[in-house]
Amino acid sequence: MSGTSIWIMIIGVSVVSILPRVLPVALFSRYEFPGLLKRWLSYVAPSVLGGLTALSVLAPDGVIDISVYNRHIWAFVPTLLIAVKTRSLFYSLLAGIVAMALLYNFV
Amino acid sequence: MQKQELKQGIKDSIPIILGYIPLGIAFGLLANKVGMSVIQATLMSVLCFTGAGQYIAIGIMQAGGAVFTIVLANVLVNLRYLLFSTSMVPYLKGKVPTAAGTLLSYGLTDETYAVAMNRYQNHAPTASYMAGLNLSSHVGWIASTLLGALLGSYAGNTDRLGLGFALPAMYICLLVFMIKRKSDVLVALSSALFCLLIGYLVPATMGNLFNIIIATVAGASLGVLIGERD
Repeated sequence: MSGTSIWIMIIGVSVVSILPRVLPVALFSRYEFPGLLKRWLSYVAPSVLGGLTALSVLAPDGVIDISVYNRHIWAFVPTLLIAVKTRSLFYSLLAGIVAMALLYNFV
Repeated sequence: MQKQELKQGIKDSIPIILGYIPLGIAFGLLANKVGMSVIQATLMSVLCFTGAGQYIAIGIMQAGGAVFTIVLANVLVNLRYLLFSTSMVPYLKGKVPTAAGTLLSYGLTDETYAVAMNRYQNHAPTASYMAGLNLSSHVGWIASTLLGALLGSYAGNTDRLGLGFALPAMYICLLVFMIKRKSDVLVALSSALFCLLIGYLVPATMGNLFNIIIATVAGASLGVLIGERD
């Protein structure tokens, strides 16, 4: 790809990555959503996080890998336990990273 | 500008940045390999704050694909932000001025969304908090891209440090925090199942994260059907 094409690509990707994020806030901020839609939207965050967690743990490289060889599944266990127990993002992150480093280097 | 809120936003962005470091470095390295200059790679991370979309761009470039293909793939990848952004509107309304909210929403990613929504369950959003969280996350992304592009082929394997699990660990933890109602558990579990099922049946949706969009819509709809009335 030539230098010019790369710049055109960057601008194009930039436009389509900016618009979906800013348009709803720009357009709907003056608008009151009906109650049912508000309830539906309140479930978007737990739903997104359920999906992201499942994909990042069970398909870490973009391919579903539910096997004992998937280190992410093993690291998931201490991370979840610490998250439930301490309710601290810092300790959960630390548990996950340390678990993964140990698994990577010693298993 | 409320200093305390700004500080809190910056503080909350630290785990996100930790997760972005290996991803940003890897992007910089790969961009370098497919022929992007250090300036192009770094500016791409300035102008396009979309990890998945940027990786897809590199993949298509490597395969000799067209600019049009890259942009189209990015429309799909970024479509989920339409949903995230809309679900934030009821929280921001009356708290964050529309112009500031619109500008700062460019810093919306999976990670800043999860952290912000978690905070807004108990604290009213402010433009300062959004600025702290979104801008410093973006700076982290840009800086790690630059580092990767500069390092070229010298970089070692960051997997050994366990940093590859930073973002999954953050999702797990924020999911735990996010559970307030019994129906939230069912929504999260069913969305996880939908996501994997769709990804299994139509593997192409894994690459562009379209399965997340379908699973989110299905999960949230299920929530409305089974959820407690407030």
